Amino acid sequence: MNKPALYLSAASSISHQPTFGNPGFSAALRPVEASSALISPDYKAYIEAGLLRRMSKLLRMSVACAKDCIEQAGIGQPDAIVVGTGLGCLQDTEKFLNTSLTVEGLLPPTSFIQSTHNTMAGQISLSLGNHGYNMTHTQNTLSFEYALLDAAMLLREGDRNVLVGAADEHIDILENIAVQLGFEINAPLTSATSFFVLSAEKQGSAKAALADVYTSGGTAYGQEDIDAFLDRNGLRAGDIDLALCAGAPVPGVTRNLDYLSLAGTYPTASAFALHYAVDLLGTSGEIKNVLICNGLRKSNLGLTLLKAIEA
Amino acid sequence: MDSLKEDLKKQIIEQLNLEDLTVADIADDALLFNDQGLGLDSIDALELIVLLEKYHGIQLTNPEEGKEAFKSIDTMAAYIRKRKEA
Repeated sequence: MNKPALYLSAASSISHQPTFGNPGFSAALRPVEASSALISPDYKAYIEAGLLRRMSKLLRMSVACAKDCIEQAGIGQPDAIVVGTGLGCLQDTEKFLNTSLTVEGLLPPTSFIQSTHNTMAGQISLSLGNHGYNMTHTQNTLSFEYALLDAAMLLREGDRNVLVGAADEHIDILENIAVQLGFEINAPLTSATSFFVLSAEKQGSAKAALADVYTSGGTAYGQEDIDAFLDRNGLRAGDIDLALCAGAPVPGVTRNLDYLSLAGTYPTASAFALHYAVDLLGTSGEIKNVLICNGLRKSNLGLTLLKAIEA
Repeated sequence: MDSLKEDLKKQIIEQLNLEDLTVADIADDALLFNDQGLGLDSIDALELIVLLEKYHGIQLTNPEEGKEAFKSIDTMAAYIRKRKEA
């Protein structure tokens, strides 16, 4: 791809790891355990009390990360808000469906409003007072990659800063239907949100460059897809300093790391991998090229290439 | 202590996610939809209708009845007792 790189000007995650407000977190992460819990900030610092009580866990996480990103990037408003989510606000969906089974009359409005997939992007825009493009992508395990592609296209068409992120939450019933999800699960199911400010121009706060994103959905893929992706970026497997993988390691890359062991398993865990890579690129001078290889489902492949920003 | 009123306060705190409030913070005669009281709004009113059916098996279909019933904890308890006696 000969298009100029885009820049990650801010990154913020709330997860089962100490990621929020903790630059350099990548150096000290241990594998996530089944008994781990979400590490949440004090949401009152980001969301006013009147709005907070109407927001479910995932909404609070999303709005807090979004506001943190805007602050890090030092921009007043993003030109667009793009969110990827595999399963949406499950807690509210479950609450709404459970109430519909037990109550004959009126159904609870708050959980209905918040059960829709685009609630996160909508609430972020309301919280920021943003009137720009607002989009939610839900493409199973490739939801975040599609959100990134959308954000990249907006920036190529003239936007300067796009807030792009991903959010998914765990509810107990997922444990019972884990097989039907079709994930390559080798880590506990978790909840997390990750948001980024993607910019067309390099700003002072830029942490890494996003070189390319590729998706292949609903079809078998192989090593040739990864080779072709690297080839169109003028690279070979040996040029990749670190491959963050969900699924099989990337052959030919010296250092492969299973990012699900750190993030836990959820449809948009590749967004956690992106934050991990951004954090690593910002703190380690040795790593220049990072490939995120999202094979969380055997039939879906997401590839994201990140590069260090040259001093 | 009136257990129905205590239950109502607990149910309202849970249904409306009033995380910062405890049962002791809600006076029986505090106006639910007034800023000097609980400061609830129209979405909360719909949640209260759901609460009545979910916890007390009462369907409220007449908006005028709701206006009177949802004034305070006192009026909600009185409304529930009246409907159960009928």
